Amino acid sequence: METLLTKKLDNILIIGIGNNTRQDDGLGWNFLDALEKEGFNSDNLLYKYQLMVEDAEVIANYKTIIFVDAYKTSLENNFSFEKLKPALKFEFSTHSVPPSQLLCLCRDIYQKTPNTFVLKIQGYEWDYQLKLTKKATKNLEKSFKKFISLCSEDS
Amino acid sequence: MKAKKIIIEPITRVEGHGKVTIKIDENGKVNNAYLHIVEFRGFEKFIQGHPYWEAPVLVQRLCGICPVSHHLAAAKAIDQLVGVDPENLSSTASKLRRLLHYGQVFQSHALHFFYLASPDLLFGINAPAEKRNIVAVAAENKELAKKGILMRKFGQEIIKAIAGKKIHGIMAVPGGVHKTFTKEEREYFLNGKQIPTIDTMISWSKEIIEFIKNYHAKNSKWIDSFAAYPSNHLSLVNKENGALELYDGRLRSINFEGNELLNIADIEYKYHFKEAVEPWSYLKFPYMSKYGRKEGWNRVGPLARLNTCTFITTPLAEIERQFFKQQSNNLINNMTMHTHWARLIEMLHCAELMKELLLDDELMSDDLVRQGSPRNKGIGIIEAPRGTLIHEYHTDDKGIITKCNLIVSTTHNNEAMNKAVRKVAEDVLTDVPEITEPMLNQIEIAIRAYDPCLSCATHALGEMPLIVQIEDKNGNIIDEKIR
Repeated sequence: METLLTKKLDNILIIGIGNNTRQDDGLGWNFLDALEKEGFNSDNLLYKYQLMVEDAEVIANYKTIIFVDAYKTSLENNFSFEKLKPALKFEFSTHSVPPSQLLCLCRDIYQKTPNTFVLKIQGYEWDYQLKLTKKATKNLEKSFKKFISLCSEDS
Repeated sequence: MKAKKIIIEPITRVEGHGKVTIKIDENGKVNNAYLHIVEFRGFEKFIQGHPYWEAPVLVQRLCGICPVSHHLAAAKAIDQLVGVDPENLSSTASKLRRLLHYGQVFQSHALHFFYLASPDLLFGINAPAEKRNIVAVAAENKELAKKGILMRKFGQEIIKAIAGKKIHGIMAVPGGVHKTFTKEEREYFLNGKQIPTIDTMISWSKEIIEFIKNYHAKNSKWIDSFAAYPSNHLSLVNKENGALELYDGRLRSINFEGNELLNIADIEYKYHFKEAVEPWSYLKFPYMSKYGRKEGWNRVGPLARLNTCTFITTPLAEIERQFFKQQSNNLINNMTMHTHWARLIEMLHCAELMKELLLDDELMSDDLVRQGSPRNKGIGIIEAPRGTLIHEYHTDDKGIITKCNLIVSTTHNNEAMNKAVRKVAEDVLTDVPEITEPMLNQIEIAIRAYDPCLSCATHALGEMPLIVQIEDKNGNIIDEKIR
């Protein structure tokens, strides 16, 4: 990652995507909860059920965007942190816009392309329950530890 | 030629999930066409056993686009359960609810026009599927996309200021509202520092009406005839003068020639309406009992409202209404695609009304809640963005809900949308050598004009591509396309 994180999250927006009433779909939100508990600036933590077209205007106001979301498919180390570029990916509904498509909209409408990353955390169960599964909780802890290690010393 | 059955599932760029089935016989003629609503929600059942004051909070979860409409329709019903009729609400509570409602209609209409409908109008019905979306609109028409986003945002910010959050906020309590409006909140919408001002919203609403007028001038043949058919039209109208009314009024229905079929106090609805069911859809078919299942169904929504009202109270929208009426020679407008135009006139109306209310100091009064003598039945009817929305609740003496009936706007439009599907299928698919994807898109365009809300609060698990299957008369799949 090119930008060192500080707890103030200057010019950085972290977006947790998911639904904490659907078991491991709550990974994105749980990650934000953990950041807030750790003292990160909660003003720059955004909880979203899904991304929508108008979020292009929101992300245009930041230099760096980090999306955090649960991932259904198996991941090496059970999480991954990847750079994201604008890309056209179409869904049948505009009520659920993929992050790469949101970057396209941001670029096309506002002529801005924030430095963007996606943190994928592997989940396993998606039923109507409030708690993460044990395996997903472990993955959350691992990914959180790695994320914190990216913070600068003086934060 | 082999008989075919075509399935479009899910329908794209609508709120929620539906499916279309078209059956074509051996002679290439459309035999049958159905719009199936394939979601089942069960809200009317599981609200039973809850205390009445929970209704406005629970039922708004029906939808993520128009929760405010459900919140307010339920609130109007709950007011009656505590003995407060609409005219007895405090002026401040009534105005705050209206401001919330106008913000809701404004943002919902903006979402539909800019995100869902504009690709069809900008790129045409034959454009490739990958181009028919908001990303392509943004790439080719930045200003239009930017305005669409900011207009939707303005309405959502009004909702957030009054109800606490953009989606599923809470403002109404039995007999009133729980919070007043502050000077700081008002300034946010007037000073233009963080978001464009309400005057800019009015100006942009006028611009977008000009856009559709120009579009109509260039495409009048298509837009006037596509999916057009005669129907009844139903909406609330102002109790005193028959003007366009979105929050509280009388129920008025007229037929395709403008003859009045119904003009009743809203709470009398149950004596005049029945609901039919069909085995192929979870959505019911409401109709006026006096005219029967076949003749008694109505269109609802922006086009219906502009047909049933006598005038619009705000000056700029009234000028646009008069021009709009001229397109149908001042008669009833049964042109389905004109619904988009009517929707934009309503946006202008809402922007004008929001300005009026934002400048009204009474919003800042603390006279918020009224009380009355408890009753066991409450009916709340409102004009939601997509049309007439009815909530009815019955309670026992402890205030526990024992019965609930909801007739949502899209339910009223069920027969109308099925009619539109069949009309377009007959016009487009009869006797064609090959059924192409743009032809099927035309079916979706007809449905999309109604902006149906098939319950967008449901979150789908897994991938949901658009699948078109063609079956022979024995039900064997002979072709399949996935996009």
